[in-house]
Amino acid sequence: MKAIDLKLLRDLWRMRGQALAIAAVIAAAAATFILSVGVHESLSETREIYYERNHFAEVFAGMTRAPRTVVERVEDIEGVRQAEGRIIQFVTLEMEGRVEPIRGVINSVEDGGASDLNQMILTEGRGPGLEEAGEVVVDRSFAEANDLHPGDEIDALIYGTRQTLEIVGIGLSPDYIWAIAPGDLIPDESRYGIFWMGRRALEAATDRTEAINSLSLTLDHGASEAEVIRQLDIILAPYGSTGAYGREDHLSHAFLDNELMQLDAMTRIIPPVFLLVSTFLVYIVLGRMIRTEREQIGLLKAFGYTSRAIAWHYLKFAFAIAALGIVLGAIVGIWMGRNMTELYAEYYRFPFLVYQLSPETFASAAALALASAGLGAIGGVRTAIELTPAIAMAPPPPAVYRAGTVERLSNLAGFTSIGHMIVRHISRWPGRSSMTVVGVSLSLGLLFSTMSFIDSSSSMLETNFFRAQRQDVSVTFIEPRNEDVLYDLGRIPGVLRVEATRAASARLRHGPLSERVAIESADDEGTLWARIDSAEQEVPLPPAGLMLSRRLADKLGARTGDRIEVSMLEGRRSVSVVPIAATIDELVGSRAYASSATLAQLTRDRAPVGSALLRIDTNQRDAILAELQEMPIVLGVTERNAALVKFEEMIDDNIITMIGFYVAFASAIAIGVVYNSARIVFSERARELATLRVLGYHESEVALVLLGELALLIAIAVPIGCFAGYWLAQLMTAMFSSDLFRLPFAPTRATYGFSILVILAASALTAMIVARRVMRLDMVRVLKARD
Amino acid sequence: MTTEADISDGQGRGETLPVFRAVDLRKIYEVGETQVHALRGVDLEIGRGEVLVLLGPSGSGKSTLLNIVGALDRPTSGQLWHEDTELTGLSDRALTRFRRAHVGFIFQFYNLIPSLTAEENVRLVTDIADDPLPAEEALEMVGLGHRRGHFPAQLSGGEQQRVAVARAIAKRPRVLFCDEPTGALDSSTGIKVLETLAKANEEFGATLIIITHNAGIAAMADRVFNFLDGRIASIDVNSERRPPSEISW
Repeated sequence: MKAIDLKLLRDLWRMRGQALAIAAVIAAAAATFILSVGVHESLSETREIYYERNHFAEVFAGMTRAPRTVVERVEDIEGVRQAEGRIIQFVTLEMEGRVEPIRGVINSVEDGGASDLNQMILTEGRGPGLEEAGEVVVDRSFAEANDLHPGDEIDALIYGTRQTLEIVGIGLSPDYIWAIAPGDLIPDESRYGIFWMGRRALEAATDRTEAINSLSLTLDHGASEAEVIRQLDIILAPYGSTGAYGREDHLSHAFLDNELMQLDAMTRIIPPVFLLVSTFLVYIVLGRMIRTEREQIGLLKAFGYTSRAIAWHYLKFAFAIAALGIVLGAIVGIWMGRNMTELYAEYYRFPFLVYQLSPETFASAAALALASAGLGAIGGVRTAIELTPAIAMAPPPPAVYRAGTVERLSNLAGFTSIGHMIVRHISRWPGRSSMTVVGVSLSLGLLFSTMSFIDSSSSMLETNFFRAQRQDVSVTFIEPRNEDVLYDLGRIPGVLRVEATRAASARLRHGPLSERVAIESADDEGTLWARIDSAEQEVPLPPAGLMLSRRLADKLGARTGDRIEVSMLEGRRSVSVVPIAATIDELVGSRAYASSATLAQLTRDRAPVGSALLRIDTNQRDAILAELQEMPIVLGVTERNAALVKFEEMIDDNIITMIGFYVAFASAIAIGVVYNSARIVFSERARELATLRVLGYHESEVALVLLGELALLIAIAVPIGCFAGYWLAQLMTAMFSSDLFRLPFAPTRATYGFSILVILAASALTAMIVARRVMRLDMVRVLKARD
Repeated sequence: MTTEADISDGQGRGETLPVFRAVDLRKIYEVGETQVHALRGVDLEIGRGEVLVLLGPSGSGKSTLLNIVGALDRPTSGQLWHEDTELTGLSDRALTRFRRAHVGFIFQFYNLIPSLTAEENVRLVTDIADDPLPAEEALEMVGLGHRRGHFPAQLSGGEQQRVAVARAIAKRPRVLFCDEPTGALDSSTGIKVLETLAKANEEFGATLIIITHNAGIAAMADRVFNFLDGRIASIDVNSERRPPSEISW
């Protein structure tokens, strides 16, 4: 090994503490990058392969009932490659020992579970017979959650008739990767199951012989999806179609897209923060190192080393630290990636989902880390290049301090000499002092903004479950009913209040833009369902016209007062022009609302009740649920509490781990920045500190010079960090928002407090470690050395 | 305990009570795997108000002795008393208190705090001493009253060393330790510095212990300790102290 490389190794070893602190920040950048990009890649590639192999459709349509022959007509539409009709039927399940509502959806399949599109994969057992009544394949998550195996039986209420389902196999399919029961926010695999049943058997059970209620199609390459949807809507209109839609509106696909978008947002925000800090750190540490090695650099140049060789020597120092960071980051990133992927596998129903780090991702992470370290090294390396041998061999000019603005301020404040030392040192090195402030602020900002996601979740929970939904139970019907059903429900003992709601599919058009939505309405005097805007205010339904969520209005390019064309996709399928009476800034979904009178005018039918909201006496819950399940008109029953519990469980399961990660990563920055600043201040001031000890200052008083400077910088960093965090959190909530939902920005004081405490604790502990060196300061040796 | 009055009694030549007494001081440094015997058994008594010059080649042990007597370092064995207090038995904290109260130091490279002005450098000491001179007065004593607002980088080497002297005498120390105080200075500046030291000795009765390579400085001492190989090889006693201005450089 060349002597100059031995120097490099020994320098690294001598400065191992500082090198490790920088490597930790680079590791955090690499880890978060490898985590988010790797998981994104694993998820999207797995999804792609799954879609490809199992022929996931591209366009979907639901309808009340259409003859099977409609499939051939659809296949004739230009651009349609393949079409397939199915029956998809929501059912209520009865399982022994379970009183809470358990729901399922049964899909028709050909003999043995075959289909052309959205093909089901059997993981266990066999497919159902075409005509075998009751034979079903059940989805793997539901089977696992409920300990179901081939040979087991469940009772189901299908289309008002009780039937025993015999499980013959376990499977899963690409149209139910994210399987969520209507009205739920997150999947609940123990209370919502996907089933596949032989086509003839399901036709018989649902009284739809040679009929279908769902269509899936794939398109030719280059075909216009919008045009196919337009023609499809025309063909399906007579059959009670609720409007055709593409993959981007397919619930399972859209949720995954949303997740991918969030991972992407994470990649674009979090690793850059760490990279920025690591650049700062390399800049200040290498800069200091090169200043102290002036004489060595001069010597090397005098010996004939070229400037390029010396530049490369110091760049290698930066790259070695980056390399260590990359290795550490890859280990942590892969480990976190695996854990996160396992978590995804719990919520997303993939046949297989493994975290795989592609060489490209690893290479990108490595390139980013090397680039940020290299960028940080440039300043110092340039100084090294510019030093001429003669200048480099002479001692550096003494640090020049002059009286300036800071001076007058500190005089006004009546500082002691120690106070002057602290303040002047900060103003003597404004660049490094600012970087310390920026670094600590960023760590605080990062911690605050990630922690505020937890606030956002609780706020969403609060808005959705406590302010918007006030019912205990919601009941959906097989088809819209007239108001008599409300009296039937109200007669059940223990039911305290019953309110009707309805949602009717419609296509809204404004100029060239169109969107398929469900127009929702409620009782005019209803109290069980409220619309809460992002300012947490309750917004009433407009007496006339439509109220659109802000996001929907934006998608239509429409504003309050504009008139839009409303084509109802159910009832009498009327087409009317209706004004937008109001918009509402909502967090979840793109939704449209109307008063019940307005919706009745639009649908022109006499069945104003699509579902009912119930407030019940919780002591009689079990009896009420049992009675509801006995009613033939009931399609499904949802308990608000169960959804709430599931949501809270999801948060609770992950919250400790999440906080742990957030704290560890943000602390890595604070520790890296404070440790390096402290070490540099200490090395610059060792001689002064030793002098103070000689003059009779106690160790604690001398440590104050070091700690005081850091404390002052950290004190400045805290308010800046709070602002940075506020801004970063807003940016992140904005970037994490999608069509499906928007995160509320709802930071609490506790989050500010917690973040500040964590960063202060991390900084203080780190500073203490360096301050201990003051205790071990060898006065004699330091004083003997010349500056 | 010694009082202010005792100190002034001891003014001038110090044949009276010893300020420091050492018995068989030894210091061994571990340097890698070898042991360096820096002091090999030093016995001495230093009187109040005495001016002492330590001469000897590099590595002969004079700085080690000065550091130990000045409570910057501890001997490996042996005993050291300051008046009736055994310094070798004190904690680090107590040694710090001792330095804070009684000891002034002057080094070859001045050791001023570059971020503090001349006056503030002196205030470093007056801030923590019990009965200090006002910083301004200390600077006047070394003839730098007019430059008290200057930072070290704005002062010449001799001026910086005089600030260091002002800082050392501002606490009215019992003893001033000077390690090569003129080592980095030219002769005329060096003499100015020595004059201020002599003045401190006369005005406060401070014992003056000076390490130097410059044998000429020995003329201003009461006694001269000649060091060789970690021992005091010989002691010269001057019958008369000569003022620094008469010293041949």
